[in-house]
Amino acid sequence: MRYLRLYLYFLRFSISRALEFRIDFFFRILMDFLYYSVNIALYKILFLHTPTLAGWTEAQAMVFVGAYLFVDALNMTIFSNNLWWFPIFVNRGDLDYYLVRPISSLFFLSLRDFAANSFVNLLMALAILSWALSQYPGTFTLSQLFLFFLLLLNGTFLYYILHMLFLIPVFWTHSTRGFDRIFHGVSQIMERPDGIFVGWSRKIVTTLLPFALIASFPTRSLFEAFSWDILIHIFFITTLFFMILLFLWGFALRFYSSASS
Amino acid sequence: MIEVKNLKKTFRVHEKEPGLQGSIHSLFRRQWIKKEALRDVSLAVKPGEILGLLGANGAGKTTLVKVLAGIIYPDSGFVKVLGHVPWQRENQFRKQIALIMGQKAQLWWDLPAADCFLLLREIYQVPPLQYRKTLDFLSASLGVKDLLKIQIRRLSLGERMKMELIAALLHQPKVVFLDEPTIGLDFTSQRAIRDFLLQYREEHQAAMILTSHYMEDIESLCERIVIIRQGKFVYDGPLAQIADQCRQEKVISVTFSGENYEKNIPFLLEGKGSILSQSNEILKLRIPREQVPQVASHLLQNFPVIDLAISEDEIATIIESIFRGEERGEEK
Repeated sequence: MRYLRLYLYFLRFSISRALEFRIDFFFRILMDFLYYSVNIALYKILFLHTPTLAGWTEAQAMVFVGAYLFVDALNMTIFSNNLWWFPIFVNRGDLDYYLVRPISSLFFLSLRDFAANSFVNLLMALAILSWALSQYPGTFTLSQLFLFFLLLLNGTFLYYILHMLFLIPVFWTHSTRGFDRIFHGVSQIMERPDGIFVGWSRKIVTTLLPFALIASFPTRSLFEAFSWDILIHIFFITTLFFMILLFLWGFALRFYSSASS
Repeated sequence: MIEVKNLKKTFRVHEKEPGLQGSIHSLFRRQWIKKEALRDVSLAVKPGEILGLLGANGAGKTTLVKVLAGIIYPDSGFVKVLGHVPWQRENQFRKQIALIMGQKAQLWWDLPAADCFLLLREIYQVPPLQYRKTLDFLSASLGVKDLLKIQIRRLSLGERMKMELIAALLHQPKVVFLDEPTIGLDFTSQRAIRDFLLQYREEHQAAMILTSHYMEDIESLCERIVIIRQGKFVYDGPLAQIADQCRQEKVISVTFSGENYEKNIPFLLEGKGSILSQSNEILKLRIPREQVPQVASHLLQNFPVIDLAISEDEIATIIESIFRGEERGEEK
């Protein structure tokens, strides 16, 4: 409850700050509009050559595109600004004030800056997802839709956890962007249907680098019979990775050297 | 309130030869050197005490403050602040301390101070009534009541620092760490901040540790000082004792008429003092007070002296000489 109230403060600050920079505001919308168009076009073109892709029809693939764009927009809005600054903070010794406050430093650092700029993009992504869902020939039950969105929220959280895990080595390497780049490379797995991964690669993208669980599995829950196994697997992996993050966070702080003033 | 025993902290830093070649070399084979930031230091601070922490840049002042505030982990040693081990960072501990760093801002640049204070109120869970009272008191005594609604970045450096102080003290901490709180401020602001810190100490019996490069800060705030050199405490005691010392010794500056006087100095001193500085024509000596007349007359009689002046050492000079590690009588 207290953390919720704190978050409302972060929201208020971020929004009042974002409104001061109008050019940035519109630029961001334009950028993401292009990014969304490219993603939709990519799958549209693929389906000119094949009727199904990894078991999905074009309509299903469009729901998937809508799903990962939605996760991406959510992530941009809630986490990405904070995570962008995080390695810089570590290197510059700017973690000091976060560490002396009587609240979780990980919470504070991960959520303090809400990207109000991206909020419009979040609405755009939501519109794309709604459009994709509505043009699907079949119908969905309400509980299916509820589970789908719940899993997408979980996917957003999992995406944040994975991103953070890739950034934590900065405590030792002091390389500001190195691991961030690797993450952005690897994270593209989430934009591929999980059906294309078989054998070993499938094991990896569902356990070690569980990017398939972010958007692809949730989308699958709309078209396939509901399976407890998959659901438990998703929540188990998310919880496990979160515990690892908490542990690593505590561990990494021991090596924080707080660059001297 | 603060207890430190045998505290040690080393940093590992790598050395690099200058230039591109050095960079390539260090990419494959890194020369790590250990930098001992704190070597076996012990300390105790009582409630209501303001301890001045003095030392040259890189002597280990900030490292000590950061260990005490729980930001960095020491290698070994015993530390208790308010009964807590700082680096375990329990909320109960963090609610009772405050850290102010003159070089690092804690307030949100784009927001008015009043907004930042509200967030801090929530973080520290200060009851609304107490918050109002504390904020009124703090902003009135620092004279910044009218500035609370102005964006931080539109404030002057001095005003900003006052806001930082308010931000740090809103939750009425029992232990306050001040790392160069008056750096870069003009004289009036420095004084306002000093007076205010004394007032806060009176009212809350808070323990404070202050690092500063300004002697004025130290002289007006601290009864006790610790001088730290290369990670070791070289002096821990009352400031007054050092002040006494400068009254016990005087500095004699002599200007000669260009003649070679150097070989006679050892004879001249004979255990009566030390050389502060010496150039071709000007010699500065530090002499015990009772010896001053004797040495002065000796100089005047035996050397071609153009000018001779006798003055007192300033505390700052004495402390600086301790920083540099000059041997000075009874100090360890």
